[in-house]
Amino acid sequence: MPWIDSGSSPAARWGRYQGSAASPYRVCVDLSGPAYRCSCPSRKIPCKHADWLLKLRKVEPAAEPDWVRAWLDERAARAVRRAEPKERDEEAAARRRERRAERVAGGVAELDGWLTDQVRRGLGTFERGGSSAFAAVAARMVDAQAPGLAAGLRRAGEIAGRGRDWPGRVLEELGMLHLLVSAHGRLDSLPEGLAQTVRTRLGYTVDTAGVLASGERVADRWIVLGVIDQVDERLITRRVWLRGQDTGRPALILSFAPPGAPLDDSLVPGTAVTATLAFYPGARAMRAIISERGELKPAPQPPGEAVTTALAAFADALADDPWLDRWPVVLHDVVPTRTDSWSLVDTSGDALPLRPYANPWPLLAVSAGAPLTVAGEWSAAGLLPLSCWDGERPVRL
Amino acid sequence: MKEWEALVSAALLGTARRPLDLSELPESVRGLVNGGDPERMLLSAAALLTGYRRAGRLPERDVTLLSRAPEDPRPVVGPDAAYRLAMLLFGERGNLLAEWLRTVHARGLRVPPERLPVLADAARGRPELRPLVAEAAGPRGPWLAALMPDWAFLAERSADPEVWTHGTTNQRHAWLTDLRTPDPDAARAALAEVWPSEPAPVRVQFLGALHTQLSTSDEEFLEAALDDRARDVRRLAAGLLAALPGSALSERMATRLRALISIRRRTLVVHLPAACDDAMRRDGVNPTPPRGVGERAWWFGQLVSTAPLSVWTGLGHPADELVRMPVEGCDRRLLILGWSAAADREQNAEWVRALLDGDTGLALDQVARLISALPRDQWATAVRPFLQDQLPTALVQALPAPWPADLGNLVLDRIASGGARGLAHVADIAAYAVPPECLDHALTRQVLEHDAAPWRRRLVDTLAFRRGMHEELP
Repeated sequence: MPWIDSGSSPAARWGRYQGSAASPYRVCVDLSGPAYRCSCPSRKIPCKHADWLLKLRKVEPAAEPDWVRAWLDERAARAVRRAEPKERDEEAAARRRERRAERVAGGVAELDGWLTDQVRRGLGTFERGGSSAFAAVAARMVDAQAPGLAAGLRRAGEIAGRGRDWPGRVLEELGMLHLLVSAHGRLDSLPEGLAQTVRTRLGYTVDTAGVLASGERVADRWIVLGVIDQVDERLITRRVWLRGQDTGRPALILSFAPPGAPLDDSLVPGTAVTATLAFYPGARAMRAIISERGELKPAPQPPGEAVTTALAAFADALADDPWLDRWPVVLHDVVPTRTDSWSLVDTSGDALPLRPYANPWPLLAVSAGAPLTVAGEWSAAGLLPLSCWDGERPVRL
Repeated sequence: MKEWEALVSAALLGTARRPLDLSELPESVRGLVNGGDPERMLLSAAALLTGYRRAGRLPERDVTLLSRAPEDPRPVVGPDAAYRLAMLLFGERGNLLAEWLRTVHARGLRVPPERLPVLADAARGRPELRPLVAEAAGPRGPWLAALMPDWAFLAERSADPEVWTHGTTNQRHAWLTDLRTPDPDAARAALAEVWPSEPAPVRVQFLGALHTQLSTSDEEFLEAALDDRARDVRRLAAGLLAALPGSALSERMATRLRALISIRRRTLVVHLPAACDDAMRRDGVNPTPPRGVGERAWWFGQLVSTAPLSVWTGLGHPADELVRMPVEGCDRRLLILGWSAAADREQNAEWVRALLDGDTGLALDQVARLISALPRDQWATAVRPFLQDQLPTALVQALPAPWPADLGNLVLDRIASGGARGLAHVADIAAYAVPPECLDHALTRQVLEHDAAPWRRRLVDTLAFRRGMHEELP
């Protein structure tokens, strides 16, 4: 075992690695980033030692040694310095904000005209696929710094001309884009939360420091419901769904990494973390970052709900944020089954379909026809199961 | 929802072609979209209806439930072993999957069920894994196979007599093999019942099941099969009868052979058979030699390998003397090969030792076959003389794994002391072939130098990996 004195605390994981060098390297990972430090000469960040450290399976909880503490303190201090506003920056930032608002407004106006044109000419023109037409407008929305609009257009472009019910699904996407366009025109008169939701959906980002400083803070014991990695060409997006044990509140932690780089693996189904979350602003705030992280412990099965209860909660959330496209559900005593497609049935016979491309087999093999608790992401396309419980054993699907 | 359908067709056609008619819309929606140009009104109505449709979505009803698989009482392996399985499935050590599955089964444990689909897919491409995965799946196997035809092999183990009459050929074969061990007579009787109506390839496959628990009660059935219309069935039946000590066929072979051999002045004198008559053919002698082999020598070789070895010792000399005797009338190698086959079939330790000691010029893989015919506690002694400066890769490779522990330690000791050719090859084989008892060998506790040979690192890594694997499965 080349590792000496490895250990972990809620904030960090560390160890000394005895490689070929005379003295061992000191390796430390700040889990809040995650951020990496290693005394090896490698320029790659994270270096292989930090990578291995994260992949070590047995790391005992321990008190942070001085060298780890010192580095964590140094990082915290740097973060505070960065967060301190400077007047000159303030002015420049205000100018940048103004310039961006103008460009977004230009983009929104252009999209409004384009949408109107499509409806006038008829969606039938997309019969033979329309992804290139959509991609061209999407690219102009990216130029206008409204990536949220671009994403909606690309989604519509992927649907157009494919499958039996494509016209309806494209019209849904275009309708929701139109709703965003008209909401942009009334941004000033919208309630603060909804205005934030609209800004987020347009593609405005809120920086982490701002969320930490002024976001809504909720302390709870957060049960991990499920984890899913979405792999795109240049980026892996990890979605971790949490639910507060006392508040019952859903929360979504996003993390990003280029393919091949490690993501924080500590939050897995079957665990719960005592933490204070800071929520991004919005009418139905769900995305959050972990502000103060406490103990991570194994957690029992989360209590689930019946299908109708889950759908009612989703409807309630849609009333706050009509663009909401993913909603975490925990269903108890459901059985996977197949009629026309795969679905989950609860004890009263109510069923939710699985998403068409979801792999049903691991869930089926665990269930073998018996009821179990399943956590997943509900969307208009169906349910994507993320985890289930085999008795008390949590299973990541 | 017909309002939505109407809106979709309006959008498909385009407002330029047909004036927009929103009178169908519900009151609440109409009130919100009135005013503005028709295109924006249509889009607003679409957004509103989308919201209503998403929020008001009802659960599906009247779905059919699947049947429930019987309970599997075996406990699931622990989290460390479950993690190890993921490494075997998605990492680089897939060749240890079979050993892992066998160990899990031997411990009375089961695999985490969520891994069964991946395991079943892996077994589709690796048939040797199929029985192991079926075993691991337990009662879930047939349940999953009913949903996914690609995994039919998960349903092959069933004691249900329906399977014998209505199953697929593979399922029926598995049923027959499963029955043969506990009740050999019932298995033969089941086979006899369907025998006349099965096609030839199926008869061959099923007849092979009689290899296990072969006894004199099978003789009548097999003797009848010697007159089968298919050649492959006849040959297989002859092979089985030859393997049956004291069978009429092996008596007939013995009689034929006895007439051809004798000892004169401490020399083995052989007369090659003059013809291959119908009776010989019926007893499974293949009349057509391969290219380059004389036909009389070819027939004689078959007699030597199928007749009982007692014919030879009946000449009045023990095996070790016979093996060393000069031979007249045929090539000595013909006898050596025939004796080897017979000694392997009879698991005759006296003949095996005589052939191993007798300067017979056998190839290493044939030596390995002979050694594996010995009782396992004699393997190490038999292999020891071969572990010289040039390690016998072909021999080590052909010995069935897992080896007996003393053989494992012997080979690892030889590797540890080094200074031989072929170390890398033998180490790569031994890493997987030594049994679990050898995984703690002193070799694994040596600290490797930075410039240690890659094969040495591979050996130590593999042994350590396997040790971890077995420790996690108590």
